[in-house]
Amino acid sequence: MVSDSIAAVPIPSAANTKNPGKKKRTNRSAKLKQYKIDARREQWLSQGAVRSKGCKDGVDDEGHAPPSPAEKHIKRSLEPLATRRRGEEDDGLIHHDSDSESPSNCPNSCNDSGTNFTGSSSGGSSSSSSSSSGGCCSGNITEEEEDDDEEEDEGDDGCLDDWEEMADALAADDKHQQSPCSDSPPAVQTVLPGEMAHGSNFGSPNSKPESGSRLVPWASGNNRAWRADDAFRPQSLPNLSKQHSLPNPDRRCGGGVPWVRTSMPSSCPICCEDLDLTDTSFLPCLCGFRLCLFCHKRILEQDGRCPGCRKPYECEPIETEASVLGGSLTLRLARSCSMIERNQYRCGLIQSQSMNNLSFLLLGVLMIGS
Amino acid sequence: MIDFARVQKELVECSKDAEGSGIKVSPKTDNLVLLIGTIPGPLGTPYEGGVFHIDITLPDGYPFEPPKMQFATKVWHPNISSQSGAICLDILKDQWSPALTLKTALLSVQALLSAPQPDDPQDAVVAQQYLKDYQTFVSTARYWTESFAKASSCGIEDKVQKLVEMGFPEAQVRSILEAVGGDENLALERLL
Repeated sequence: MVSDSIAAVPIPSAANTKNPGKKKRTNRSAKLKQYKIDARREQWLSQGAVRSKGCKDGVDDEGHAPPSPAEKHIKRSLEPLATRRRGEEDDGLIHHDSDSESPSNCPNSCNDSGTNFTGSSSGGSSSSSSSSSGGCCSGNITEEEEDDDEEEDEGDDGCLDDWEEMADALAADDKHQQSPCSDSPPAVQTVLPGEMAHGSNFGSPNSKPESGSRLVPWASGNNRAWRADDAFRPQSLPNLSKQHSLPNPDRRCGGGVPWVRTSMPSSCPICCEDLDLTDTSFLPCLCGFRLCLFCHKRILEQDGRCPGCRKPYECEPIETEASVLGGSLTLRLARSCSMIERNQYRCGLIQSQSMNNLSFLLLGVLMIGS
Repeated sequence: MIDFARVQKELVECSKDAEGSGIKVSPKTDNLVLLIGTIPGPLGTPYEGGVFHIDITLPDGYPFEPPKMQFATKVWHPNISSQSGAICLDILKDQWSPALTLKTALLSVQALLSAPQPDDPQDAVVAQQYLKDYQTFVSTARYWTESFAKASSCGIEDKVQKLVEMGFPEAQVRSILEAVGGDENLALERLL
């Protein structure tokens, strides 16, 4: 029992750790998410009803009969796994299967969205509410998740703001840096059980079959972002997901390479004003020619060619950005611009994601310190 | 509005290595709109030994717009007007880049002196001579350098005037002055 509950816990909780990330990543639309959650919940409730009626032992499948042929198929493919597991774990009780089954089912049925997963988790908890500690745990997590979920739904913009502030703080003073940091710990604490499980997840062979396939790309996708200081991981965990949600990290890094490698002029070669942090992170042209945002804007108003290579600037990010972010974010415009230009993206989110790049932050801090 | 901070910095930078490049820029007026640039004639060209002054006018949009440059010293060159001193050089027109400076622009002008482009002439007469009678072009350019671009021959008109007042015909004075490279005493000996 003990071993099983331990085995069962990591699975939903590992999923849980993923969830914030996934959620943020898929945070395109809260409505869609809510809709999915509701739908999922209903499904599971109906499954629970069916189970209470029809299934004598309550193993896996109860809910799967009604929904859809596809799910049946999934269920079947999962059954051997569950059975095998039960065989391995001597005290395979009925509940365990329902526990281990529900998360293992999730990656298959809701692979593309963390939101669905939340729903299924809650489904798992509801189906196993009467059962083991594993189920109990997953129930807790589910609640947290849902809280989390809502927090994130409304807090996502706040998150962006935090990181904008962060950037401002880097340019101005260090104090603001506390605020995003102090913001994140609560979130981290909420996820803490999940996080612990997340840690054990990598070590746990049990988690491999279900989540391994999903975890691996996830982790590798993030390597770039937080490999530098793993130690600080928990603090910036919410941000991690954002970085992960970069559509194309490789491309971003490719674009960033000249940024890192080119020597950093201390003043704008055009106007001879000192480059501030924003300017130094601004690489408008692949040729590596740097200039301040004011001069860049002025050039865009005129012939729009890079002073360094005389090639026309590829896009006019100011207009693009303005239309994307809207008027309320005008203050961010310049910075967004720089980020977008550097990354050659048009999506406004990226900018804050780039801000989250810890190496970048460290660079900024160093620059302020010096 | 001209970016005076940048102009100031350019002037400082330029004065730093004026010895090395021989290129100087100095303000003509207090407001830094009118400047005067100085370039030495490139070695191995008919302009060798001459010092050429270039009037620089900074437009309001500088450095986003190119500075207006014009030879104040008379030059015999296919791409420089022998009348007005106007310069035909792409970087002073459509190929200007804000990353260029007065110094780099003057360096380009200096390079133009050593590499005329007769296919894209500013002064058609000079260009024709360059293409059809290169030797004459070289000697004329050298004479103009001697006559107008050398400190010692700055007042060639004064010398002509002086010799003419001595009673020599002006045309002869000019041809002999040209032959001796503007040296007043040598010309006088010849004339005598």
